[in-house]
Amino acid sequence: MTASSTKRESFDVRILRQAAPGEPSRWETFRIPYEPNLNVISVLQKIAAMARNAEGKETTPVAWDCNCLEEVCGACTMVINGRVRQSCSALVDRLLEEHEGEIELQPMTKFPVVRDLVVDRSRMFRALEKVKAWVPVDDYYDRGAGPRESQESQEERYPLSECMTCGCCVDACPQYSKVEVERRPNESIEEHQARQAEAEKSEFLGAAPISQAMLFNRHATGAMLADDRLNALSGPGGIQVCGNAQNCVAVCPKEIPLTTSIARAGRQTTVHAIKKIFDR
Amino acid sequence: MAGTEPSFFVRHEFLIRRLHSLTGIIFGGYVCVHLFVNASIVGGAQAFQKNVLAIHSMGGILPLVEWVFIFLPILFHMFVGIGITVGMIPNNKNYPYEANWRYTLQRATGLYLFLFILWHVFQTHGWFHFDWWLNVAERWGGAQFSPYNAASSIGLIMQNMLVSLLYALGVLAAAFHLFNGVWTAGITWGIWTRPHAQANALKVCLAASVLLGAVGLSAIWGARKIGSSEESIKQAEAIENEMYTVQVEAGLIPPTEHKRAHHADSDETPELTATPASDENPTHPSDED
Repeated sequence: MTASSTKRESFDVRILRQAAPGEPSRWETFRIPYEPNLNVISVLQKIAAMARNAEGKETTPVAWDCNCLEEVCGACTMVINGRVRQSCSALVDRLLEEHEGEIELQPMTKFPVVRDLVVDRSRMFRALEKVKAWVPVDDYYDRGAGPRESQESQEERYPLSECMTCGCCVDACPQYSKVEVERRPNESIEEHQARQAEAEKSEFLGAAPISQAMLFNRHATGAMLADDRLNALSGPGGIQVCGNAQNCVAVCPKEIPLTTSIARAGRQTTVHAIKKIFDR
Repeated sequence: MAGTEPSFFVRHEFLIRRLHSLTGIIFGGYVCVHLFVNASIVGGAQAFQKNVLAIHSMGGILPLVEWVFIFLPILFHMFVGIGITVGMIPNNKNYPYEANWRYTLQRATGLYLFLFILWHVFQTHGWFHFDWWLNVAERWGGAQFSPYNAASSIGLIMQNMLVSLLYALGVLAAAFHLFNGVWTAGITWGIWTRPHAQANALKVCLAASVLLGAVGLSAIWGARKIGSSEESIKQAEAIENEMYTVQVEAGLIPPTEHKRAHHADSDETPELTATPASDENPTHPSDED
């Protein structure tokens, strides 16, 4: 494998392009001169500088999102060689080992495409709102010292707090379906977003928000909202939609124990549902 | 936003999915009993008929047991299961992980079992026990199983190689679907939460599904052995008829002609030792054996 890659002069990058939301998509191939230690972001920078496809025709630069460049923000998430991941940590040499001579880039499959490789992931953040993924101390009152946290609880929670809401877990989930509401002519962004939120109201929350609900239910102060979170988790699109394919935990770049969170959510909602019957 | 009221299924999704899980476990318990009882056919016609008669000795309460533990759970589980399966987006090509394959296989076996169970209950019991309907069902290849001639009638059914193969597939699909379902139910209800516990539970569940599959296949093999020759079917029938007469005389089972084999199409009629008696419970479907 290494012998062939040292002799390599160029490689192709096939990109699924789309000009605007709701527009049809098409594949375009770019030829990149090979150099060692490239990542997908640097490839996209080269494509932007060339603005020519493999046939030598002039084309518009490919749009993509990126931010931290060290796999902690999630902005550059896309589908690379069929698998969802961050493009900043996707190394060209490894990708060419996987698939000789060509790299395939697609936008994430479960979110509305804004342009080319840029998607609108706001459904992830609306899902975090649904499960109240925060600690409720947003005021000016002096509440004194916070509750004591055990080392054990801290060690349980830390991995869950690493979630960057990148959306890999839901993109690989066979139970999570794309919801896209097209923007009407003359419709404001707010009106369109409100219709989008309404359309996804009963749709699956996905692994990340479920795990965040478990993170804050475990936190001594965050647990004040535990019942609200469990109501959301057992409402439409909640924990029950999970089909246990466990792709989420396999693709999570932060290796968060998502399936443990899902099973915990199952246990907590079981107890919560029984309690609700007898507290009625 | 003026939102439309979500559908009944969406509003009660949590409860419906949990009932789906629960009914699967209840019906799964029945399937284990069913396959183990069937496997007793390996011990011959007498051993199998003894178990079937024991089940039928419940008499009038049998339909109630059947409806609560078999028919209602499986009907609910089947139709909700179809609803769940419709919404899936399988992606095994891009994410070829072991758990993802089991996810897809769980749904594929579910769809096969949906068709298989409908066909199987029709073929053996004809779905409904109205006399006029049974006449129609028999013409269409249904209602071929006679509980009081258990081994001989299932032996006749299993003479067909294609039927045997479809049953073998059904048994293996059921064994996998049941115990993979037990494993996912353990996550759904929050019994095993950590990766290590889930991995251990999976080993136990897969071992159980292999065991149940083997038990089910042995039952098919046993039935094919009974059905392998005219002579062995006749032998089985003679044993069954004798057991029926003795049990009716002892008052252990009510005499019920519609649970016996009647060979209207064959040239010889087996001797019917019991007097034709009133048909009780002519309307309940029964597939308990």
